[in-house]
Amino acid sequence: MNSGPVLFVGLLAAMACSWTGFVLAPQMQLGDLTQTNTVPVGDTLPQNYPLARPGEAHGGAEIYRANGCASCHTEMVRSGNLGSDLQRGWGARRSLAEDYLFEQPVMLGLQRIGPDLANFGRRSDTNGIYLRLYDPRLITPGSVMPPYRFLFETRKIGLFPAHDAVVLPDKDAPPAGYEIVPRPEARALAAYLLSLRQDGYLYEAPPPPQLQAKTNAVSTNGVPTNAAPAAAKPAVK
Amino acid sequence: MLTLFGSALVWLLIASLLGLINSLKFHAPGFLAAQPYLSYGRVHAAENAAFLYGFGVQAAVGLGLWLLCRLGRTILAGPACVFIGAVFWNTAVTLGTAAILCGQSTGYDSFEMPAWCVPLLFAAFLMLGICAMLTFHQRQPGRLYPSQWFVVGSLFWFPWIFSTAALTLLCVPARGVLQATNAWWYAHNFNTVFLGFAGLASTFYFIPKLLSRPLHSHYQAALAFWTLALFGSCGGIPDGAPVPSWIISLSVVGTVLTAIPILTVATNFYQTVQRDLNALDADPTLRFTYVGLFFWIIASAQQIVGALPTVSAISDFTWFAAAQKELFHYGFFAMTIFGALYYIVPRLLGLESSAWCPKFLKLHFWFTFLGVLIAYLSLIVAGVGQGILLSNAGNSFVDVMRRTMMPLRMSTLGDLFVLVGIVLFLLNFAGVCRQACCMARKERV
Repeated sequence: MNSGPVLFVGLLAAMACSWTGFVLAPQMQLGDLTQTNTVPVGDTLPQNYPLARPGEAHGGAEIYRANGCASCHTEMVRSGNLGSDLQRGWGARRSLAEDYLFEQPVMLGLQRIGPDLANFGRRSDTNGIYLRLYDPRLITPGSVMPPYRFLFETRKIGLFPAHDAVVLPDKDAPPAGYEIVPRPEARALAAYLLSLRQDGYLYEAPPPPQLQAKTNAVSTNGVPTNAAPAAAKPAVK
Repeated sequence: MLTLFGSALVWLLIASLLGLINSLKFHAPGFLAAQPYLSYGRVHAAENAAFLYGFGVQAAVGLGLWLLCRLGRTILAGPACVFIGAVFWNTAVTLGTAAILCGQSTGYDSFEMPAWCVPLLFAAFLMLGICAMLTFHQRQPGRLYPSQWFVVGSLFWFPWIFSTAALTLLCVPARGVLQATNAWWYAHNFNTVFLGFAGLASTFYFIPKLLSRPLHSHYQAALAFWTLALFGSCGGIPDGAPVPSWIISLSVVGTVLTAIPILTVATNFYQTVQRDLNALDADPTLRFTYVGLFFWIIASAQQIVGALPTVSAISDFTWFAAAQKELFHYGFFAMTIFGALYYIVPRLLGLESSAWCPKFLKLHFWFTFLGVLIAYLSLIVAGVGQGILLSNAGNSFVDVMRRTMMPLRMSTLGDLFVLVGIVLFLLNFAGVCRQACCMARKERV
């Protein structure tokens, strides 16, 4: 190892190995992933998945990015044998590559100082989100999340109260004649958080057995399904 | 070169200050929360950027240039180019960090610099890197010393991973979850390989040099070098990530195989030092480098443990990884750089090692050492506790977080100690620079 060129070629080869394994090969496998169909449960029909976010939620993703929300919140649910993600009700199934098809940027996060948000839209509503942003301890006493008051403004009530003014408990309510309204950033962020739902079972994460039984009953009725082979087999027998 | 070192230290101070701010937020969530610029997420991203790009890259390049000159028995090629590159780099990092605080972070961990800042950083690095390669090229003929491989390795690794990340995350964003895997791969390579190589280059140079004893085995060093390049670069994908499982398996296998370079480096230095620990007190550089090496071994071993599927099911997404990062960044990399600077700076300025104020030096060592230790141990306790409590779905999330608050608040003390240590070192550094100025003035008179 006394010549520069040998050193360079060796390093290039080592880098190429890692690059092939972690950048190129995943790109070849997942690079042209497209919308897929959900596995129907009960009497539902297969649906396109995932659906693009509504417009305002796109702006909300930017607020989520700008304020580094991902440094405390992940957006991925692990499978049942890893941790208690599913038991905590953070999702109905584990997260899959398909779930992030339309995300830009993809902010999965790596640390949970707050709970996972992959399906936050399924378990919250707009006022709940405003309350959590305005003062997290209103909803979750003991929460360590900082308040994001700069997303709101306190203003005098005009002719009519704003339709989306934050509904606070009495002891935190603003003085009479004033209301706390979300700024556009807070509205967009709430729209984004509400759009976070990994709905529908997919081929790689089929419905649990008790739901599958229903699926099979439907598929024998001739409804075309995209069900996993494992789910379809008993029906053939 | 001095520009690089000086500004690297200032960035380190900024990074640890930002870290302290965020640590304080766990004492009172409302602390500095009224300003969007100082909200937790932004400060966290800015701290990352200041540490990795402000301190990490500059310290690594500065140290690399010095080692290439010293070991190649030559002078720096294109000092003006290095100076301009350093100025460019600092401008880019300053603008980028300010932009992150204004909300322009890219949203990828360890790659937070906004898109317009990335070409500037890349160009500045190329200026530095080309000068380094020219310096390497004009070396005196003879056998290459391991430190030279490590320096060349680190200086080559950075532009590759940086340009890959820039291309696949910003220029032509990869589809969906691939962005996440690419960002994880980048962050893992940045830490394990780039910072690892740069720090170990210093370790391989100073320990044998200051003990006046030859390195035990060049072959073991070569083995460590190549296996670290090969396996250290594979990893960073958390178990349970929404990607095909072969990617996760590859990541686990790569991480576990870094046991080879760890063991090789450990045995190599064990044989070199041969329990001669008396020199530890004699030389500050040696003391810092030893401790840095020790922390590298622990941090790398912890990374392996954390990648094992049985452990990662519990430890993933907790403070466990934050503890590893703290130990790797401050315990290994910063400590090693401090040690190297205690040796290099006086020589660059034409002074003796005695130019350092010994009292400050001693205090700096103990503050940093204890600070890192306190922060690391409390984060580990927080991480393991959080992981075990969370794995039982009966414990509510907020309850678990409340129970980890105590160790987290302890870690603030560690952060504070580290910050004091850095301030002491900067004061000492400024003192040495002033002595050099006085001497230069006297000579002119």
